[in-house]
Amino acid sequence: MFQYSMMQPVIWMLTGLLTAIFFLGMRYWFQDLKIKMHWWKWLLIVVWITMLALTLGVTFTLIGENESKAGIRFVLFFGLIILLTGGGLWKIIAKK
Amino acid sequence: MDRRKFIKYAGLASGSLALAGVSAGSFMAGRSKDSYTGWGRTPYGKDQFFNRVPFLVEKPTYQVAGKPERITYIENIFRRNAELYRLLINRHPEGLKWDKSQGIEGLPEPLKTYYTNHPSAFKEFFRAREKSKKQRANWEKYKDKYHLAEAWSRAHSSFLRGPAPFPVEPTGPPEEADYKGVNPNPLPLKSSEHGSKLIKKIAHSFGATLTGIAKIKKEWVYQGTLRGVGQVDFEVPKHWKYAVMIAIPHEWESFYTNPVYGTSYDAYSLLRFISGKLEVFIKEIGYSARSHVPPGQYDLVMPPLGIDAGLGELGRNGILITPELGGNTRLAAVSTDMPLLEDKPIDAGINKFCKKCKICADECPSGSISFDDAPKHVIRGFKRWEIDQDKCYTVWNSVATSHAKGCRICLAVCPYSRKNNWIHTFAREADSRDPTGLTSKAMLEMQKNLFDYPGANEYLPPPDGNNKTFGKPPDWLLTEEWFDI
Repeated sequence: MFQYSMMQPVIWMLTGLLTAIFFLGMRYWFQDLKIKMHWWKWLLIVVWITMLALTLGVTFTLIGENESKAGIRFVLFFGLIILLTGGGLWKIIAKK
Repeated sequence: MDRRKFIKYAGLASGSLALAGVSAGSFMAGRSKDSYTGWGRTPYGKDQFFNRVPFLVEKPTYQVAGKPERITYIENIFRRNAELYRLLINRHPEGLKWDKSQGIEGLPEPLKTYYTNHPSAFKEFFRAREKSKKQRANWEKYKDKYHLAEAWSRAHSSFLRGPAPFPVEPTGPPEEADYKGVNPNPLPLKSSEHGSKLIKKIAHSFGATLTGIAKIKKEWVYQGTLRGVGQVDFEVPKHWKYAVMIAIPHEWESFYTNPVYGTSYDAYSLLRFISGKLEVFIKEIGYSARSHVPPGQYDLVMPPLGIDAGLGELGRNGILITPELGGNTRLAAVSTDMPLLEDKPIDAGINKFCKKCKICADECPSGSISFDDAPKHVIRGFKRWEIDQDKCYTVWNSVATSHAKGCRICLAVCPYSRKNNWIHTFAREADSRDPTGLTSKAMLEMQKNLFDYPGANEYLPPPDGNNKTFGKPPDWLLTEEWFDI
C-alpha cells in the first residue's frame, strides 16, 4: 500500500506541519471575525476537511490510474456534496 | 505585516498546500507502477500482501453438494478439442479414423459419450474452427497495428517452440519420473513446519508472488490421462501428498488492455520457470517432485487446490480470485512427498462479492459466464456457477490478435484486479470485514456508475465489435508510437 522511500516520512512530516499552521491560522481568522468556536465546531471542520481531502485523493488517484472519466464523475458527485455541506457548515460555524 | 496577519495568511497557504500535496500524492499513488502487486516489486514486499489470518476458516468456501468426482481429461476443453482435432486431420496417435460426416455417432469413446451428452459443444467446436479461419485471414489487416503485442506475446511463448521445454516433461510412471534426480542422501528435515516455511521462501525467491500448500485430494487429480504414461485410468500416486501452489499476475498494463494487446504467455512462461526451478530444488533436497504448469502440462486441477491452499476463493468466472491479484491470478503447482504443513483456506468475502457483482458476466464477449445470483449447478459433486467453456473458446478464436489466443476480459474487468494503492486496498480490507455487505454494495454502485466498460461485443473485431480494450494500452505496446505504419 505504501512504498518505502527516504522522502516518504519527510513528506508526512511536512503535511503535518502545514496542517498545524493551517489550524493556527484558522484560529486567528475566527477570532478576528468574532466567531465563537466550540470543540464540536472544530470537530465538524476536521470532518469536513477530511472529506474534502478524501474526495481530492480518490479523484486524483483515479486520474493517475488512467481512469480520468471515473475521477471526474467522482469529483462531480462528491464535490457537489462537499460544496453543499461546506455551505451548511459555514452557516453553523458563523452563528455568533 | 504583523505576526498575527502573517500566521492567518500562512495558514490559508498551508491548508491549500497540504490539499495540493494530498492531490499530487494521490495522483502518484494512482500512476505508480510500483503499486502493481507482484510485478516490478520484489516478492518480499510485505506491504503488498493481504493479511489472511483473520479470514482463515476450517472448510473451503466452495460448496460440496454430493460425492466429489475426479475430472476426466475429456471434460477439459483443450484436451477434448485436441483429441477431436487429431481425428479430424487424420493424425490420431492410435490410428483411429473419423470423418465429420460420421457425426457424433461415429466418434470413438470417450468423445462419443461426451458429445452425445453435450451436442452444443460439438457444434461449437466447428464454429470455433470457422472463427479461427477468419481470424487467420484477418491477420493481414491487423498485423501492423498489433505488431508489438504479437512480438511481445511470441517472445513469452518461445518456451513452447524450443527444442527442450522447461520444466522437462515427465516420462514413465510417476513412481519413476518424479524421483528422477532426487538426492539419495537427504539431510533430516527438522519438521514439516520448517519444510513449509523453507519451500515458500524458496518459491518467493524464484519469483512467486503468492504461495500456499494444499493436501492433494483425489478429486483434484485428472482421470483418464497421465503425463509420462498416456491415456490410462489410474489411482492417485501415493507420493502426490502435497501441492505447493504458486500464483503470479500477468504484467498489469498489458493485462488491462485485453483482449487484443494482452497475452497469457507472459505469466505462463514465468510460472514454468518458477515451478521448474522449485521441482529441481525439492529433488536436490531429497524429495519427489513434479511440476504442473501451463499451458496444459497438468495432472492436477489448479483453482480448487489454490482455494484449499488459502490463496483465494472461486469466482463467478470459474477462476481463482485472490485478494491481492483479483482475477489476475495465474497458477502452477509442484506436487511432492516432502513433509509440509497444509495452509488453511480463507473466507475473505470474495465469493459473496461475486454473487452481487456480475461485471464479468456483463462484459464476457461469449456470454459464457452465468448470471445466476448464486451457484445452482452441481458439477462433479460441487455446487458452482457454470461456465460455457466451448463458447469461451470460440471467442478466443475470434479476437483480432491471432497468436496470443485468449480473451481474459473476465479477469481484467474483475473489481478485485486492481492496483495495490490506498483506495483499492481500503476497499478490499473494508469489504472483507463488513458483515452487513453495505461496503460491497457501495463499492459496486461506484464501480458500475463511475467506470466505463466497453460492452461485451465491443471487444470483438468488426462487424461484431470494434477491437476495444478494457484499459488504455501502454505506449510500449502501441506499434504506431515506435514505427511508421
